[in-house]
Amino acid sequence: MNKYYSTKVSIFVFSAPALILFSVFCVYPLLPEIWMSLNNHDGFRNLGFVGLDNYKDILASASFWTAHKNTYLIVGISVFLGLPLSLMFALFMDVQTPKLRRFFKTSAMLPAILSVTVVAEMWISFYEPTYGLFNSILRSIGLEAWTHSWLTEKNTVMPSIGLTFLWQYIGLNAMLFYTGIKTIPKNYYEAALIDGASFTQVCLRITIPLLQDVTKYVLILSALGSMAFYSQVRVMTAGGPGDLSRTVIYQMYYVAFETSEFGKGTAIAVVFILECLFISFLIQRFVAREKLEF
Amino acid sequence: MKYLSRVFWLAIGCTFLFPLYWMITMSLKSKSEAYNNQFGIPYSWDWINYSEALSKYHFFVYFENSLIYTIGTIAITLTTGSMLAYCLSRMQWRFNSAALLYVSLGLIVPIEVVLIPLFQLIKWLHLKDSYWGLILPYSGFAIASCVLMLFAFLRSLPKELEEAACIDGTNVYQTFFRIIFPIVTPALMTQCVLLFMRIWNEFPLAFIIASKDQFRPLTVGLLSFFVSVGVSDWGLIGATMVLSSLPMIIVYMIGNEKIENALTAGAILK
Repeated sequence: MNKYYSTKVSIFVFSAPALILFSVFCVYPLLPEIWMSLNNHDGFRNLGFVGLDNYKDILASASFWTAHKNTYLIVGISVFLGLPLSLMFALFMDVQTPKLRRFFKTSAMLPAILSVTVVAEMWISFYEPTYGLFNSILRSIGLEAWTHSWLTEKNTVMPSIGLTFLWQYIGLNAMLFYTGIKTIPKNYYEAALIDGASFTQVCLRITIPLLQDVTKYVLILSALGSMAFYSQVRVMTAGGPGDLSRTVIYQMYYVAFETSEFGKGTAIAVVFILECLFISFLIQRFVAREKLEF
Repeated sequence: MKYLSRVFWLAIGCTFLFPLYWMITMSLKSKSEAYNNQFGIPYSWDWINYSEALSKYHFFVYFENSLIYTIGTIAITLTTGSMLAYCLSRMQWRFNSAALLYVSLGLIVPIEVVLIPLFQLIKWLHLKDSYWGLILPYSGFAIASCVLMLFAFLRSLPKELEEAACIDGTNVYQTFFRIIFPIVTPALMTQCVLLFMRIWNEFPLAFIIASKDQFRPLTVGLLSFFVSVGVSDWGLIGATMVLSSLPMIIVYMIGNEKIENALTAGAILK
């Protein structure tokens, strides 16, 4: 049987296309990325080797740190606010009548399938200072003082974008949690019911601990997904006002394509890849536990 | 308490549906009504925004591009990915486990961080301003998750069928395309749905690579249209948004349950 499968030709034919595609477009770009970050590069020509100067420059620039602050704010929002909320939503969905559950499942996924551009543009209209939804509501309940020009003020711009992001993906995460809940065997719950446990107790003692695999998956998905946060900022504020809503990827994009400093852009990317690796290492190290068997 | 939480989550559920309502009502309002009555039901149904959108916004060009990018990526990723997964799960060679580890590296690198060298690479390969310029990198980045998922699926599959086929005298290529391919169809469908959602809505790479209008997919074309219209004409914007979302919403309505299953299959396998 082995001879049948594994001739040199068949192995080559089956493995080469995917491996080549993967190597050329996914792995190979990392090499010029590192090399470019050590050079002064304007996007067309290499203007000479500069060693670690690009790294010194980007670490000294204030925009780089603003971008980091914004990116980690988004990561924080999606991990510490998004995860618990979507978990609660999933737990709640589980105890509903089938009809209501159908409604929640369908509606919750909707924002995640709409394109980023559509969602962002829609929220621009909600945040609009004069006619927008938020300010209209605040005015109509007499909280005139709380109205803001949400997307152009220093303190409100990032939380506003964060809320959009949270809203778009909460339902999707809740769906992932919900399927995790469905895989937990019913007899655990029956036993708990006989012992007279309350809903909260069941959630805290049975459901949540047994969900750790799914939790880890959603955690990685949302942590790394929000690290690469870019599109919403591009559409909603284009990084403004000034550089106040730029995220790291946006900053990288801006430095490379708008000021033509590809060397510095790639330096930002290299630093950021290391951060992404570190974050996924942290999650693997501290969240992964022994594999559960039901 | 129970009642209160139900009301709370019902309200949340409604906010998820709000965009649909908002887009559709907005697209039926005239320019002045869009300002005076931003969130209410339109006074009279006004379809003029749609005819204007269809004449100013190159919907069919963008739609066709999105379709080409998505279908091209799905075709290439599923074919090459399933072949590699088959090779890794059935064939014996020295670098078997090394190749699996190598491919799984692809899950850690997000496409956004290699934007700059990828842009240079595509320019250098003269693929910029062609459909391949997006299809190939999309496929390259999609291969990792596709291979890992299909590998898990194939490993759990018994080998008897292939042994029987072998005895009947088919070669390995025939076995793969005639016997394995149909069997893994459910897993391929799952990947298909995941890829469709990912590529159809992909933004950062498309924004940079597809700079010419005739190659832009919907997500990028929509943004450039918004920029050109500005915030003056919400009715028109609403109409273009409905047009652009329509394909996805139709797919979602038809394949609702399939999409849910696909997403969650991804969650359980990983």
